[in-house]
Order: sequence, then C-alpha cells, then structure tokens
Amino acid sequence: MSDSVLVRCRDLRKIFVMGRQRVAALDGVNIEIPEGSLTVIMGPSGSGKSTLLYLLGGLDRPTSGSIEVAGEQLEKMDENTLAVYRRQKVGFIFQSFNLVASMTALENVAFPLRFSGIGGAERKERSRGLLRQVGLENRSHHRPTELSGGQQQRVAVARALVNRPAMILADEPTGNLDTTSGLGIMRLLSDLHRSGKTVLVVTHDPRMLHYATNRIFLLDGKVVTEQEYQAAITSMEELSMEGTHQ
Amino acid sequence: MKFTDLLRLVLSNLGRRKGRVALTAVGVVIGTASVLVLVSLAAGLQRSATDQLWGINDLSVIEVYPGYGDVAVTESKMGGGGGGVGSPGQPKLLTPAAIAEIAALPNVERVMINDYLQAQFVIKAGKMEGYGGITGVDADDLGTLGIPLQGGTTRLDKGTVIIGSWVPRNFYDPTWRPGMPDPKPPDLLNQQIKVVMSRFTQDGTEVKKTVTLRVVGIFAETRGPADYTIYARLEDTNAWNEWARGVRINRNREGYAMLQVRANNPDNVLKLADAINALGFTANTPQAVLEGVNNFFTILQVIFGGIGAISLLVAAIGIANTMTMAILERTREIGLMKAIGATNRDVLSIFLGEAAGIGFFGGLGGMLLGLVATSVLNVLSSAYLSGQGGGMLGMGTLAAYTPAWLPLFTLVFATLVGLLSGLYPALRAATLVPVTALKYE
Repeated sequence: MSDSVLVRCRDLRKIFVMGRQRVAALDGVNIEIPEGSLTVIMGPSGSGKSTLLYLLGGLDRPTSGSIEVAGEQLEKMDENTLAVYRRQKVGFIFQSFNLVASMTALENVAFPLRFSGIGGAERKERSRGLLRQVGLENRSHHRPTELSGGQQQRVAVARALVNRPAMILADEPTGNLDTTSGLGIMRLLSDLHRSGKTVLVVTHDPRMLHYATNRIFLLDGKVVTEQEYQAAITSMEELSMEGTHQ
Repeated sequence: MKFTDLLRLVLSNLGRRKGRVALTAVGVVIGTASVLVLVSLAAGLQRSATDQLWGINDLSVIEVYPGYGDVAVTESKMGGGGGGVGSPGQPKLLTPAAIAEIAALPNVERVMINDYLQAQFVIKAGKMEGYGGITGVDADDLGTLGIPLQGGTTRLDKGTVIIGSWVPRNFYDPTWRPGMPDPKPPDLLNQQIKVVMSRFTQDGTEVKKTVTLRVVGIFAETRGPADYTIYARLEDTNAWNEWARGVRINRNREGYAMLQVRANNPDNVLKLADAINALGFTANTPQAVLEGVNNFFTILQVIFGGIGAISLLVAAIGIANTMTMAILERTREIGLMKAIGATNRDVLSIFLGEAAGIGFFGGLGGMLLGLVATSVLNVLSSAYLSGQGGGMLGMGTLAAYTPAWLPLFTLVFATLVGLLSGLYPALRAATLVPVTALKYE
C-alpha cells in the first residue's frame, strides 16, 4: 500500500436545477483518496454520496471545482477522453447490478473488453479467470436470471475488474442483497483492496466501515467528521422514533 | 471497437427481439419488392420497345435526307458552298457535290446512295403478284448494310436484286378466291421476278415495260424498313426512273432521295450525325431515336422506382419507431455501456448498425420476393401473350426485365434507408448523459 494520493477533489460543487429550485447535491467538497485504500463514503439518502461517486467515475460533470485522478483533471476532459478514462481507469459496481439480461455471465464480464478492441480469445481467458476469482467458474454460461442476487453482484465485480482499472467504484453494492450475500460482497471488495486495488464504496451500511482504511462522511452535500455524522444520525433516529410513538 | 465485434453485437441485439425486428422488416420487404418489381417492369417495357424498334439493325448507319429547315443559317455558315443549291431559302439537296462534301467529313466510313423507283409497277413471280419498294443503291456488295443474310449472297450485280425478309409475304395469287386454301409465300431465292412498269404518254396511252430480275439474296428480319425493300443497282433504278418520266434526270439539280452513311465506329455515330445536320441535311440515326426512347424509359424507371420507394418510406418510419422504442427500453443499458467505456461513437454505431440490419434483412427478403414476383409475372404474361398469338409478331418478349444491378441496388438502398431512419434515434442514444441513462426507470 502506498501513501500517494490517487484522487483529489477541490471545492467540488454539483447543483441540480429542479423546476425553479436549485439543489446543491455537493456543496464545496474537498477530499483526498490515497492510492491502495479502501475508502468508504457514508451518508444518509440525499447526502450526495452517489453524486460524488459518479463525478469521480466521470459519469457526470461537476458544476464547479476540480477532480484530479492520477494527475489528470476530469473536468477538463472532452466526451471521448472521458469515455477512455472510464474504460481504462475505473470499474463500476452498481446497486442494481446492471447486467445485460441477454448475455451469459462470461459475456457480461467480457463486455467492457469489446470497447477496448481486445480479441475474442483474450476476452474469454481474462473473463474466465475473473469468474474463478469471484467463485463463479461453474456459472459462466448462466444468464443473469438464472443467478441469485449475490451471484449477479459477483459477476458485476468481475466485470468491474476486467479492464484492470486503477480504481473500483461501488455504489451501494450491498443495497439489493440479503445480509449473507451482502457480507460476501464486502469480503470480496476487502480482498480486492488487500490485493492492492484502490476501492471506493458508497454505502449507508455501517458494517462496511469495519473494512475501511479511509472514511468519508457526508451530510447534505458537505464532508463532516465522524462525530458530527454520528450525532446527526442519532438525532435523526430519535426524531423518527418520536414520529412512530405519536 | 472492432468491426467484427460490432457486427456480432448488432446481430445478437437484433436476435434479442426477433418478433419486433421481423414485423418491422416486413415493411422493408414489401417496399424493396415493389421497387424491384416496378423498376423491372419499366425496364422490361423499355427492352421490348427497343427490341421492336430496332431489332438487330446496324447502329453505325445514319440515314441522310435532303435538308429543308434552317437553310438560311446553313447557307450563311457554308458561304453558299457545298453541294446544295446556292441561294438561301432553298433546300439542301443530296447532289453529287453534296455527297462528296458528306463523304469528306471525319469518321465517315462510306456513303451509299439510295434512290427509289418512282413508277407504277407490279412485281410478278410465277403466277403470283406482289408489291414492295424498289430501292436503287450504288454498291456492289450490300454486306456494308450490316444486315445478316437469310440466304443467298450480298453481292449485287446489274439485273439482280436482294430482297428484305417480308417481301415474299407480300405476294398474292390474283386467281385466289374465298374458300380456296391460303397460298404460301413464294420461295424467291435464286428465282426470277418480273417488274412490270407502266407509264402514260401525253395522249393518255399506257405503255408498259417489263424487266426480269434475279433474286440473289434474302436478308434476315430487321424489323425495320429493310424488311420490305427490294434492293437493285442504282444504274438500273436510274434507267427505269428515266424511262418512267420520259426525260433524263439531272442529279445536280434534283439530288438523290436518301444516303446511308456509315460511321467508322458506332461511338462516333451521334457526332457524325450532328456534323451532317450542321451542314444543313437531315440525319436520322437509330441511335438518336434509341437514345430518346431510352431517356423516356429511364424517366419511367425513376417514376416507377419512386412509387415503390413510397412504401419504403413508410417502412423507414417503422424502423425509426422501432429503434426509438428500443432505445427507451434500453436506456439503462446505454448508461451501462458508457460506464464501462463505450464512446458516443460506439453507441451510435451499435444503434445505427441495428437499424441498418433491419433494412438489410428486409431488403434481402424484399429482393428475393421481388425476383420471385417478376418471374411469376413473366410466366403469366408469356402465357397470356402466346394465348393472344402475340408471340408470332415478336411480342413474346418478357413483361419484366431485372437488370443485373437492380437486386444489389435495392439491397443497398434498403440498407441505407434503414441506416438513415436509425440516425435520429441512434444520435439520441449516443448523446445521453451516462448518469441520467443509468438512473432511468
């Protein structure tokens, strides 16, 4: 694990315009993510954590501020360069898996390699190796509908790794899974981190914090300390408890 | 993205929704088939029209007649020179001097004088009598006309004639009465025919003159004026014309009826005809007529093709609709593709490829259906025409004719129609913001 910084955000803002309202999903975020870390971004719904992840992954553009990943400024990239960045530097894992229903597990894992122009034989070889790594070697010819939620998410993890990215971005990866499957995915992400990958997980599942080497807490689009976050969560819980008693 | 990968992805995406693709492609099938059938029909009409017009005629020959129009212009241009009569406003006649002028033009291979027998006459072959035009030509060998022979020789000597293919059919038996069997056309080759000419003296007495001629050759059918012409030597027809008129004919004042000018190369025919027209004569070429006919039918083909293309247009709207639906349904997939590194161009290519694929498969089906339909049409029309006895008159030509380029053209056209109708939906897909597409419900 090295101490160098892989991601650096400066005064990051993302403002959504909804009708006449302007909503600041991110409001002046400054963070640094060390290379080789397992960073967990915690926050309740609407805190802006997914928005932050999408900005870091180059899926959206900030309203203002800068994002530097491995020395490159994302906000200055054109559409094409950004696509190449997503292809080469990041691997995404989504809450709803986002597998292509008509493709087998193996084809789903190999899908990103088609856009990299890598030949069929190498595509198969790499994908098989990754399916073995996530424990789904014997499921490679099954379609998503023939797999459990946990298995589908493992396929998605394998797909995220296939381009050998510098950074894995996971958006609520356990959100659609039962407790056991969720735990399995957390362990898998932790294993990836131990093998040297930089992993960023956006979640509101506190169990994930056990695996984290770096923690970021978000409330209303702003980075807060763990104490501030816990205090806010406790008061929110108390409020909702009062609501139920009334 | 590699082209083969793109192709595989497009095919597998099309295979995911076979029913919808097939239904959309049916529109293209109908459109393509109608373009193919209608253009084939126009091409078939063109073929049968040009076949009947010109048959196997030699396209290097130009028929030149005296010029009666634009005389003043020509005269001023020519400075009164050439073979025509000097003063403006008078026709440009085919005098020996004019013939020399035409013969001196570039690209002329040979000039042959044609003159008609201008007398009352009857032709007799044994018991039978016939009619036909007698044309005198200044040639020893009619091989230069470029018409194949049915029998005999093309060599034309004094006292001999070579006849067109329909001449024997114009003979009848004057003693024939209804109820008797139809007389067969006489076999005239190597037979003698008699031409009985008559003229009236100034006091009204009819004088007759009979010449005996030997038929040395019969031309094959040309479906042109040569079919009912009897070719004789020019000096013969000249002598007979002078007898009929009772005076010597001065060709320097009167000229000849017509010239057949042969170009050294069929490609130079139109150029040569223009040069002859520029001298003030009237030049007719089968090529010019053919060109006019062809132009007409090309326009007809475009119009027919356009009518067929209307149904392709309707099919194109169907493709656009199907693709728009597909993109709505697959918005999240587009988001995913972008998240895993697809460029806008990759997404555009995939959806354009799918639209073009629908066009291609529909076009393929339409091409096959169109080819089957034209064959059926031809079988039906030839059955109908032979029932009508049309085949005997050379009308048995095909109703529809599919030029070799047409099936391929319709296939490419249908694919292009697919591609173009997919353009707008594919552009929309390609420019979707990845995060918006991923969150689409």
